[in-house]
Amino acid sequence: MIQLAFFRRQHCAMVMVLLLACSPSAFCQISVSPASIELDGPESTVQLAVWKPLPGGRVLELTRMARYQIIDGNAAGIDANGLVQPKADGNATLEISHAGETRRVPVVVKGVKHPQPVSFATQVVPILTKSGCNSGGCHGKAEGQNGFKLTVFGYDAAADHQAIVVEGRGRRVSTGAPMSSLLLLKGTAAVPHGGGRKIVEGSHQYKLVARWLAEGARFDDAVAGETVRLEVEPATSRMAPGESRQLRVVSVGADGRRRCVTTEAEFDTNAPNVAGADRKGLLRAGDVPGEAAVLVRYMNQVAVCRVTLPGSNSGFPRPPEVNFIDTLAWNKLSGLGLAPAGLADDSTYMRRVYLDTIGTLPTAAEARAFLLDKTPEKRALLADALFRRPEYADYRALLWSDLLRVDRDALKAQGSVAMARWLRHAFATNMPYDKFARAIITARGGISGDSPASFYKVLDNSESMTRSVSQLFLGVRIECAQCHHHPSEKWGQDDYVALAGFFTGVGKKVLPDGSEAIVAGPAVDLKHPRTKVLVPARPLGGAPVAADLPDRREALADWMLHPSNPYFARAAANRIWAHYFGHGLVEPIDDLRATNPAVNEELLDALAGHLRDVKYDLIAFTKSIVASRLYQLAAAADAGDERNFSRSMPRTLPAEVLLDAVCQVTGVPEKFSGWPVGARAIQLWDNRMPSYFLQVFGRPVRATVCACERGADPSISQALHLMNSPEIQARIRSRKGVAARLAASSLPPDAIVDELYLSCLARFPTPMERAAMVRIFGDGQEARRSAAEDALWAIINTREFVYNH
Amino acid sequence: MMDSRDANATHCPGPTAFSRRRMLKIGASGLLPGLTLPRFLQLQATAGTGSTPRAKSCIFLFLQGGPSTIDMWDLKPDAPVEVRGPYKPISTKVPGTFVGEHCHRTAKIADKMTMLRTHSHNDNGHTTGCHYLFTGQRAAFADGANSRVPVNDLYPSVGSVVSRELGPRGGVPPYINVPHPLTAGGPGFYGAEHAPFVIESDPVQPDFEVKDLLPDAKLGDIRNRRRQELLRAIQPEGNRVGAAGTMSTYYEKARGLISSPTARLAFDLSKENDKTRDAYGRTSLGQCSLLARRLVASGCRFVGVDHGSWDTHFTCFPSLEKELIPHADMAFSALVSDLADRGMLDETLVVMMGEMGRTPRVNAQAGRDHWSMAQTVLFAGGGIVPGKVIGATDKNGTQPTADPVSIQDILRTIFHLMGIDSDKTYYTPLGRPVPVVSGGRIIDSLLGA
Repeated sequence: MIQLAFFRRQHCAMVMVLLLACSPSAFCQISVSPASIELDGPESTVQLAVWKPLPGGRVLELTRMARYQIIDGNAAGIDANGLVQPKADGNATLEISHAGETRRVPVVVKGVKHPQPVSFATQVVPILTKSGCNSGGCHGKAEGQNGFKLTVFGYDAAADHQAIVVEGRGRRVSTGAPMSSLLLLKGTAAVPHGGGRKIVEGSHQYKLVARWLAEGARFDDAVAGETVRLEVEPATSRMAPGESRQLRVVSVGADGRRRCVTTEAEFDTNAPNVAGADRKGLLRAGDVPGEAAVLVRYMNQVAVCRVTLPGSNSGFPRPPEVNFIDTLAWNKLSGLGLAPAGLADDSTYMRRVYLDTIGTLPTAAEARAFLLDKTPEKRALLADALFRRPEYADYRALLWSDLLRVDRDALKAQGSVAMARWLRHAFATNMPYDKFARAIITARGGISGDSPASFYKVLDNSESMTRSVSQLFLGVRIECAQCHHHPSEKWGQDDYVALAGFFTGVGKKVLPDGSEAIVAGPAVDLKHPRTKVLVPARPLGGAPVAADLPDRREALADWMLHPSNPYFARAAANRIWAHYFGHGLVEPIDDLRATNPAVNEELLDALAGHLRDVKYDLIAFTKSIVASRLYQLAAAADAGDERNFSRSMPRTLPAEVLLDAVCQVTGVPEKFSGWPVGARAIQLWDNRMPSYFLQVFGRPVRATVCACERGADPSISQALHLMNSPEIQARIRSRKGVAARLAASSLPPDAIVDELYLSCLARFPTPMERAAMVRIFGDGQEARRSAAEDALWAIINTREFVYNH
Repeated sequence: MMDSRDANATHCPGPTAFSRRRMLKIGASGLLPGLTLPRFLQLQATAGTGSTPRAKSCIFLFLQGGPSTIDMWDLKPDAPVEVRGPYKPISTKVPGTFVGEHCHRTAKIADKMTMLRTHSHNDNGHTTGCHYLFTGQRAAFADGANSRVPVNDLYPSVGSVVSRELGPRGGVPPYINVPHPLTAGGPGFYGAEHAPFVIESDPVQPDFEVKDLLPDAKLGDIRNRRRQELLRAIQPEGNRVGAAGTMSTYYEKARGLISSPTARLAFDLSKENDKTRDAYGRTSLGQCSLLARRLVASGCRFVGVDHGSWDTHFTCFPSLEKELIPHADMAFSALVSDLADRGMLDETLVVMMGEMGRTPRVNAQAGRDHWSMAQTVLFAGGGIVPGKVIGATDKNGTQPTADPVSIQDILRTIFHLMGIDSDKTYYTPLGRPVPVVSGGRIIDSLLGA
């Protein structure tokens, strides 16, 4: 009865909360926000928040439990959720009482009798946004919906006004009979509406739109009322499972005016299991310990409330610290109450660091030598040796070939080979990452030469170059701002075209020998898609660059690689981290923004600083990661934390790595058409090499620069393939294979089993495993051979083999 | 997790049939605090009383993208030209019932099916619409986000519900997707155990086969058994975390498949003669429908056939009349006739629909856009009353004239026909109760009332 136990635990927690709340201390007093209320206009609202502080930084939420009363004056009313609404101009006093305590809040109401005209841009558009009218699935999509097209998320109020008031021969509004306007009739589904009922008749949104119509459906440029900043209160919240907390959202205008926009704002979360907020801004904690960023969006501005839901084990003894990574990780885990797992044993560490660093399993001989080695610093020595192996460069080149879209169908063999060779060389010589990035960003020359020029071959215009470079090297998904203001970022269309202006000089040229080259000449500025005004090229959040540079991309690279650049090093650090831990500090790994914070911001900042400190030496940086105790934690054995790195999570092996592993442990290499025998899958530049194995285990087609393209989902087909496929059977049964060789040797059965375990899992079998395996060995060559084959088959089909732990 | 195969069994197996492990599973599911063995047995004994389900299986032909049902099954010949489009209605085997001229094969079997013309909802997105359709729950994500399958990571799809409630009745998995995974066909919080088996191969291809279905025959049964025993011995239960845990579940399902000779036969389309294969149409939808019939005959409970390209925003009529409609028309009519000829129609429910219909008004690009407010859905077999037309849309096909039918209504009716209790509640991993269907009512007119 797990559920029952869970509820009981909850219940106990609640009782404790109440006991704490009632103890006679300073914590007993209720708090109310705001301290005074000003309502301006008949449709204005103010959300109240009432709570009681508790020890340990938590609060007891009371907004929906307190009793409310207007005791003096009749100007305003309040509902049970604590939403204050105006009734008439004048003053009132709101009394809030709970458990014998009372607070009073003065209320001033104006503008009810003679309201300010409704602002289309700052009052009507947010209603269209919160109701979903201008969402990407509806009237906000590029072609609109049924002839009615709004700008997505309402980024362009002037165009929306035009669409509502002028287009469609003006049939959508009737200022003389506002309630008969098609806008309201459709919105309330009084006449057939594909989107159904979006606005409730008589609601505050309805009244506001109706008044705007009655006032002549005017457009105001509304600069004074424009929101320049959004504040959410509280900005951080420490909660217990199942608790709730009322958020308040305040818009700060260009004129400094503050308005409560809690009912108008939209809420979203990056971790629904930890916490989320409903339409009314009521924050609710789930029961998975961790942190959540609850995103608040209003009028192109965003704010974040960071919620911490600590686990139960905050007092764990702090494990030793190898370097800054451990210090910052233990800090975070203490705050979360998540005790880190113990240290992984030598076998687990060895297999993990091999697979992560060189995409290759240790051989039985390597595993035996390492396990028997008594040198105290043997783990660090092992890592050092791995970074010097050629497979390190092979594997990094493979993963970067995904990101740089080395697709044979797009590049032809010459282009693919050239890029793969350049990448391999870059990693083999440990090219500093800043130099590496600059070489790619400013690439030019023949696409079959020794350069990354073919990156620009697959990107057919300056905009796709912008999007790819931004996502790849800055972790900014600027493509959202191509068509509209980024929904969860500060970037708008002007930022997008300003960035694209760096790439307009890049072109392709056919050389006399028929091959293609990337050329870069003077660039031109691009027009804002809406205003048609030329936007000078400038980097994100930076100043415009000189117009007459020979290759603007150099200036972009200068900006990216400047030590003060807030994106470049963080994006790189997060990408490498994700490779070594199975998931990034920020997920998705190439979507870094204030509204999608890292699970450990301090750690990501420190890693970015470290990358700069080591002058972008990737090997030095990565060695710090694998040296940390955090990297060497034991693997998860049961349900629990999966996001905060308190233990090692099993991770899917890339298709190529798994195929190489199967080949290595069976002793039978894959034969790739046109490649020499012994060529390994991680060395393949050809992403179209026919291989059912690679296809079914999720090889990407390299259609985007997104690391998410590599499939990580298991399937029945994978299980069937590993168990039954003729290809793998042939390897296990091969006369030249490992099973046949071991069976033919003079080794006794238990030694054969040891060899198989060492080669597949880098460990010796447990006594139980050894006994189960030895039991199937019979006398005679044939019996030994079949037993060795079956033992090998069984190990290949374990979770331990198929995953990296 | 509670395994409801038992609860729906027609005979009571008695207390000895319960292993301790099963009881632990029942307890751990948190189904009902305080559910004791006697209470469970009592539930079991009373399960199925009320109506006798007739549908043992369901074949769900999913026209992904949104079929233009106004051009297929709900024509508006009296509407203005920009609404009625170029097609003429034709009469069907049922007097007074008409379909579009390109559905002439379906017209001939109109007495074996029923058209529901009043399906209506208000989610006009593809990924969100698919999520809504397959789970009966509104999507919590923005449309277009995360189109990697499956998108229903919390709520189970209709096929996963059927898999959980009815379980297998033969050697094939209870829930299969062909030839691709359905966008929202995943198991949600029901977990990998109720995920579809996806045949990653299109039966219209000449070399179609389900790969790796059988172990190496040369090894012989004894060694194949020894291998599986060895694997069980060295890999204890537990330690099922994240993706590796999911993989274990897939291994169990794979083992079930391998050990089933009926599975191999069911997947073998070459056992069908050319005449039959031609009748279904040598198209992806046609051959998938034929395969679906074979799978159902072997005990599959729910086959989801994914058929794409119905999102006809631009110049829609050439592709509708040359490919999309004829493919759907052939596949549906051949499937229904074939099931009827084999005496299987009564126990096999066939549903054909998309996530939305298309706009009544033809747009400036000679296409039709998304229109979830009105869609016609075809039902056949499984205990529905055939030969009817249920409901009507208004003169331009914009919305039902009365009693719109929701997704929840359709799901509830499918479950009712299959003998599944739509009000049964399961708890999410966070302890939130989620009924099989939230709301909705059974479409009585489909059942004869």
